[in-house]
Amino acid sequence: MNFDPSEEQILLADMAGRLLASHATQTVRDPAAEWRDCLDQGLIGLPFTEAQGGFDGGPEEVMIVMEAMGRHLSQAPYLQSVLLAGRTLALAGADEALTGLLAVGARHALALFEPGQRYRWDAPATRAEPTAEGWTISGAKVAVLDHDGETVLLCPAATPRGLGLFLIPPGTSNVLLAIQPTPDGRHATDVTLDAVTLPPEAAIGDPARNRAILAEAVDGAILGACAEMVGAMEQLLAITVDYLNVRQQFGAVIGSFQALQHRAADMLIAIERARSIMIYAASMMEAPEARRSVAVAAAKALVNRSARFVGQQAIQLHGGMGLASDYPAGRYFQRLTVLGMLFGDTDHQRAVVAAGGGWAG
Amino acid sequence: MELQFTQDEQAFRAEVRNYLLANVPERIRTAVYQEQPLPRAWTVEAQRILNRAGYAVPHWPLEWGGRDWSAVKRAILAEEIDRNAVPKPLAFNVALVGPVIAAFGSEAQKRRFLPAIANLDLWFCQGFSEPNAGSDLASLKTSAVREGDAYRVNGQKIWTTYAHEADWIFCLVRTSQEARKQQGISFLLIDLATPGIEVRPIRSIDGFHHLNEVHFDNVLVSADNLVGEEGKGWDYARYLLGQERTSMGNVGFTRRRLDRVRALAEQASGEHGAQLIDDPAFRRRLTWAEIELKALEITQMRVVASAPVQGIDPKTSILKTEGGELLQRAAELLIDTLGPGALTAGFPEASEDALFDGLDARSGIVSAYFSSRKYSIFGGSNEIQRNILAGSVLRLGRPS
Repeated sequence: MNFDPSEEQILLADMAGRLLASHATQTVRDPAAEWRDCLDQGLIGLPFTEAQGGFDGGPEEVMIVMEAMGRHLSQAPYLQSVLLAGRTLALAGADEALTGLLAVGARHALALFEPGQRYRWDAPATRAEPTAEGWTISGAKVAVLDHDGETVLLCPAATPRGLGLFLIPPGTSNVLLAIQPTPDGRHATDVTLDAVTLPPEAAIGDPARNRAILAEAVDGAILGACAEMVGAMEQLLAITVDYLNVRQQFGAVIGSFQALQHRAADMLIAIERARSIMIYAASMMEAPEARRSVAVAAAKALVNRSARFVGQQAIQLHGGMGLASDYPAGRYFQRLTVLGMLFGDTDHQRAVVAAGGGWAG
Repeated sequence: MELQFTQDEQAFRAEVRNYLLANVPERIRTAVYQEQPLPRAWTVEAQRILNRAGYAVPHWPLEWGGRDWSAVKRAILAEEIDRNAVPKPLAFNVALVGPVIAAFGSEAQKRRFLPAIANLDLWFCQGFSEPNAGSDLASLKTSAVREGDAYRVNGQKIWTTYAHEADWIFCLVRTSQEARKQQGISFLLIDLATPGIEVRPIRSIDGFHHLNEVHFDNVLVSADNLVGEEGKGWDYARYLLGQERTSMGNVGFTRRRLDRVRALAEQASGEHGAQLIDDPAFRRRLTWAEIELKALEITQMRVVASAPVQGIDPKTSILKTEGGELLQRAAELLIDTLGPGALTAGFPEASEDALFDGLDARSGIVSAYFSSRKYSIFGGSNEIQRNILAGSVLRLGRPS
């Protein structure tokens, strides 16, 4: 075992860190410019094979980049467009769409969740019926992160032959978008599909494999989300420690008070715990699906719990300052909260692990 | 990065496991599995079996029986020893006094003590804590006054584990009064058979006798038994606490407990006809413990696989805190598997040296719950560990 990054990985971390830091210091963030920079610097191609036009990055590289995203509160739709939708395209063999993502940064978004199903995504009520001209899809999707009127939607839907996957280009008729700002400065969208007609080539993948394809892409994205949360937590702790060592009350810096010191020490413990379980999940990405999914669920459960704890403690330790939305602590707390609710909250993930039985041996 | 065990490391794990299962008698492993106190002779027997294979002191210098194994391999060894219910090599010997003698002792001390310590021919106990020097250890008062070629020792140690089984005690004693209380402390080895020493038992909340008071009344100790320099004892004690980090998280031990919890919960009846393992609340607690143990396993490996830190690695404070709390949670789950049966599982009578003869196999579970409270207390309480994390790692209260 060896947990030290290679030289290439150190360079990658430096590059991603510099790129994202430069956007973090802007007074008004420009997600589109950040996304373009990610494209120019090769970050978008990172988790794809060379044959697909990518750079052969694995789970370790994904962790490195996503930690930097978390540390700098990136607004680029990397998690959605690259790790979730992008990898789905790659696994489904949707080469043309993937080329669009890798060559010009065409944004994609995977619509996983539906009303009334919470975090289950493998049995959509959305239906696609074959027609003489192609397909007709009807249904509803909720909470599609970073989806807007210029994004290609990847839509899982039930078909007579099993789970289908459909590409719905921006501007398609009868697609209704309800775009909402998220607490962490991004947006998420509820989508209504009312007898949307699509050409035959809109269907990608293979109904016999699509569930496994989605499971693999989702697990990869969950690992990415965990890394983003770990990066955000570490930065949030650093911000909190700085504050504790500056803020004075009762004639002393408040960081000298043991009650507050122990809260901060508990934050550190929670973050190291989260980092370790994230590393475990990364080490299991090549395992068979059943083991991989339980490992990833274990990681998300524990990272979620740590993130709630670290976020809430950081706000508490900042006192009134923690309640101000234009102060960094609150923004990290908001980001951690959003990521924690994505792909399954703590109870959901813990239940997935419990169903896995004696998995940890 | 190499996030998985290498083939070499996996082969080493298999080799260790095979040796342990083939050589350590079943009766000893059963007693450890059931968490019953071992007869002294069994502890000695087990350590000699480990020592024969180089498993007792692999972290020592090569010339004194150490092995050229990576820290990851040593962590695997520690994990397998615990996981397979083999008694750990006596920590006071191999992890504490041994490395100090190897690093600071005289040649004569090394020759006399190290082989005997490794093979448990001599059993050492640790004389650090005193009635008024617990977390604030530097306030210790036991005095050693130089008289010619001997020290005259007076004072009292407390919470001395296995003093009633031990041959020798390594002590921190005050050899001079200095402005800083950390100065003027020396590291002294004392034969417990020396006249003037009295060991008095303290019965623990787990029903057994492990702990003792050790009283020193004008005990004469040869100056040959001073380790290193007079007045440097505090430095040596700090060195000792920073030693072997490969088993600090108690990963194998907690794994063994949680596996047992699962096995018992699959047998035990729950309510409404189902098994305990099907009870959602119980299962939820077990799942969390298993998830956290997996994280701890990686944290343990992250600590040992990283380059050694000069002095004390603050991450060991995380390992100790997390490891101890998880071991306690596993003990809680274990006793909860018994349900009302916990009351009749058996508990040692108030006899002084009860062993497990005649006690129900489940009684160890009840005792283990009580004895596990020690993990957040000894070796620097979890509150002290949090002070270290806040001070040394986060630099809180020390604005730069």
